[in-house]
Amino acid sequence: MPSTIVTLTLNGTERELIARPSTTLLNALRETFGLMGAKRGCAQGGCGSCTVLLDGRPAVSCLIPVVTVGGSTVDTIEGLADGDRLTDVQQAFVDHFATQCGFCTPGMIMSATALLDRNPDPTRQDVTEAICGNVCRCTGYEPIITAVLSAAERRRDAPQSPATAGL
Amino acid sequence: MLISVEIPESAEAARAGLQSGALPLGGGTHLMARLNDEAAGDLRLVSLRKAGLRGIHVEGATVVMGAATTLADLEDDARLGYLSRCVRSIASPPVRSLATVAGNLFVPQPYGDLAAALLALDAELDVLGAGGARREPLERIVTGGLPAGELVTGVRFTAPAPGTFRFHKASRRRLNSGSIVTVAARITVEDGLVGDVRLVLGGLGRRLIRATGAERVLLGAPLTAETVARAAEADVIEPVGDAYASAWYRARVYPVHLRRALLGA
Ligand SMILES: Cc1cc2nc3c(=O)[nH]c(=O)nc-3n(C[C@H](O)[C@H](O)[C@H](O)COP(=O)(O)OP(=O)(O)OC[C@H]3O[C@@H](n4cnc5c(N)ncnc54)[C@H](O)[C@@H]3O)c2cc1C
Ligand code: FES
Ligand code: FES
Repeated sequence: MPSTIVTLTLNGTERELIARPSTTLLNALRETFGLMGAKRGCAQGGCGSCTVLLDGRPAVSCLIPVVTVGGSTVDTIEGLADGDRLTDVQQAFVDHFATQCGFCTPGMIMSATALLDRNPDPTRQDVTEAICGNVCRCTGYEPIITAVLSAAERRRDAPQSPATAGL
Repeated sequence: MLISVEIPESAEAARAGLQSGALPLGGGTHLMARLNDEAAGDLRLVSLRKAGLRGIHVEGATVVMGAATTLADLEDDARLGYLSRCVRSIASPPVRSLATVAGNLFVPQPYGDLAAALLALDAELDVLGAGGARREPLERIVTGGLPAGELVTGVRFTAPAPGTFRFHKASRRRLNSGSIVTVAARITVEDGLVGDVRLVLGGLGRRLIRATGAERVLLGAPLTAETVARAAEADVIEPVGDAYASAWYRARVYPVHLRRALLGA
């Protein structure tokens, strides 16, 4: 089957690519668009390091043939910060030492961002459920949970700066 | 290797696309994982993402879900609160936003937790074949499979009366883990006696099991620990061992989880 042209709204901008049937969204992001935030950990849906937002929902990009999501909106970690200004979730990860080697961090932040966009007042249990598909080998998860809860708290105090401002 | 992906815009076009030996692609959370595994052979797929098969309709007690409705859609729908425990036991949010209802019916055990719930609810499938559309009991498809070239377009069932649906899944971790034992049941109790029961087990065999032996023990009996213990002895359970648990362990803990599912303790 020949390659086809796929259009995506990627981090707020309309982009086109030529994709083979076997090209995954993850490959398209990394190899065509040079966006290296989403990582290939397992390619089995099990580690979450490739998590991006697909039409606003967290999704493992390693399991999506990109030709099937033409016309969709895709947001990656690269689209979050406004220049040097980090989003509240990103800043909380820095403040709470929620990142060590950083391999899981882009996926983790996309899952956390998706949670806070839908549920601004999450419980600890909500946070654990939201990141249960994102594996972290370094932090032991506690600093990550603290960071997400504190970002939520900060956002409630300053509702004018949502994590996805600028998306 | 994935050699072709069609993206038809109607169910009929999707069915026609299967004639070349292609497989339907729901969310791909099973199929694509297999493909990414280098050992998989060549595959042609027909994606259902744009075939108009996504949506949930509730009319009175009748619930109809399009085949390509995602597990995240079910999770969001307050009308389906009785399925929430089941859906949230499946994988993780970034998988559930892709995974579809129909895909869950065809994944190998110990997956298929939603299928277990739907079988306990005695769901029917809308199937589209070369001869047109028809309805099939889910039970028949679970035992006999779906003929090649055919497509599930929807799933329908009667919503359980409040308090009559039970779902319990034992797994290695509290979240995001395949099943060790899954119990799904529709059960009514009148004056302390079981009036009606449909009991389905996952994780305990190569296919979902309708526990008819246990159903016979329960029917008309008082719903007590003693009855449930006898019910747990009534079916031939020959579990499979895998990375989640050994066959021995599964058989050993099944009575405990049947009790937790039916008595909550
Ligand atoms: C990390 C991870 C954890 C998981 N954990 C669980 C779990 O705890 N419990 C669980 O039940 N599952 C689990 N799964 C398996 C899977 O995600 C779900 O079962 C999901 O519902 C499968 O749906 P899908 O649409 O993604 O299937 P797909 O991969 O798209 O398809 C699966 C099968 O169904 C067929 N199919 C799809 N749609 C149709 C249709 N309309 N008509 C006919 N055939 C069709 C396909 O051809 C294929 O054979 C997990 C998967 C991953 C990656
Ligand atoms: S690389 Fe996609 S989930 Fe691991
Ligand atoms: S920071 Fe290293 S895997 Fe999470």
